[in-house]
Amino acid sequence: MSWDVIADNLGFFAQGARLTLLLTVVSLVIAFFLSMALALGRNSHHPVLRNAIAAYTLVFRGTPLLVQLFLIYYGLAQFGLVRHSVLWPWLSSPLVCTLITFVLNTSAYTTEIFAGSLRHLPPGEIEAARAYGLSPFTRARKILLPAMLTRSLTLYGNETVMMLHATSLASTVTLLEVTGVARNITLNFYIMFEPYVTAAAIYLVMTFVLVMLFQFAQARWAGYLQARL
Amino acid sequence: MARLHTILLGSLLAVGSFSAAQAAGQVKIATDATFPPFESVDSSGKLVGYDVELMNAVCKAAELNCNVIAAAWEGMIPGLTSGKYDALISQLTVTPARRKVMAFSDIYETPVFRFVAKKDAKLDISPDGLAGKVIAVQTGTPMDAYVTKTYPKATIKRYDGGSAPYLELSAGRADLHMSYEAQITHSFLNKEDGKDFELVGPRLTGKDAPEFGEGVAIAVNKRSTDLLAKINAGLAKIKADGQLDALNAKYLGEQ
Repeated sequence: MSWDVIADNLGFFAQGARLTLLLTVVSLVIAFFLSMALALGRNSHHPVLRNAIAAYTLVFRGTPLLVQLFLIYYGLAQFGLVRHSVLWPWLSSPLVCTLITFVLNTSAYTTEIFAGSLRHLPPGEIEAARAYGLSPFTRARKILLPAMLTRSLTLYGNETVMMLHATSLASTVTLLEVTGVARNITLNFYIMFEPYVTAAAIYLVMTFVLVMLFQFAQARWAGYLQARL
Repeated sequence: MARLHTILLGSLLAVGSFSAAQAAGQVKIATDATFPPFESVDSSGKLVGYDVELMNAVCKAAELNCNVIAAAWEGMIPGLTSGKYDALISQLTVTPARRKVMAFSDIYETPVFRFVAKKDAKLDISPDGLAGKVIAVQTGTPMDAYVTKTYPKATIKRYDGGSAPYLELSAGRADLHMSYEAQITHSFLNKEDGKDFELVGPRLTGKDAPEFGEGVAIAVNKRSTDLLAKINAGLAKIKADGQLDALNAKYLGEQ
């Protein structure tokens, strides 16, 4: 065993963990707000809006994240039109491409989770809001979204954990997050067990924190929904 | 419970030390098939290239039953040390660091390393001239070690395979790429995508920098002394009967 290699590279792992956190948090925060809007649209009366969002979630849930990442990072760069556009300074950056891909991907799943909860709200809650004469915006802000979010917590918590683990794919487009660091050590020191066990431990700690946050949120905001046996 | 553990551990160790060669009577040889003309997969899914032909010739000469298989660059050396593969042939440069973890056959070729860049780029190939430039390399290769040490002011982007850096050059995400001269010419410059690019900077070999090693050789597990002796005997045979010269002429031309 060559744990001394890991000890020498702890700083490298810390940098990787910082990038993993950045990728996870930025993707999740943007996707969270995007998905709330998309979930309302997904249940809209307008068939065009409803079906357009359904098509988007179908495409992004129907293809592997790695394929999406390669298409956006390597694929788009093949088109001269993209390379000569004003967006190129951003699209040439692996970080931006990765974040775009992650946001689009996790938003597709989160939208479906939120939209599903929205469809299962007790009709009485929505009728009551209408009866009080609340405007559509206030209705969404005060009634629909809070009720939707509390009912989504468990499933959404799962999606955030999946997103955290999916950030490991960023290493395929040169970003040195935790998995990228492990792979780099493997390629330079020819050991596999030690770097990947270290990476696994880092993901486990991050997942634990995320799960605790959701348990807290569950107790704080969704306690009233808890079934009492 | 303690006894059960002992039995389980014992059987695990037994499986571990039982090398793949002994199991099948076949020598499993891994190659990273993203590196034409040395090793790549053709349109029918067959492994082809200089190293593949050389390995098959060596095996024939040494009367070994060989099976050359494609493996990911990342898992190759750990796979050799853990006994998943019996040998590696993948333009592996012999360096002191690599000698610590595996054994090498006699050198069969001494590659030339070059930079490739856009034709009109007019780059000044010096540590200061390349400050801020983006250099693409394959991770964990001699080229990676060399540019990391020689061009500390440049941004170095590292890739797992041998082909991704060319996509990045074409896209303009990287200014330069360093690799084996023959590989650059074959897999990029001779193609449509590479028509605006050229080889730049000096032709580098192991004599210019220690990172480039002594040359390329076949790697085997340190414990496989028998296999190493057979491979060396096979190499000596194909050197003597002109097969190696024929391969060099076919793939590398006049050098």
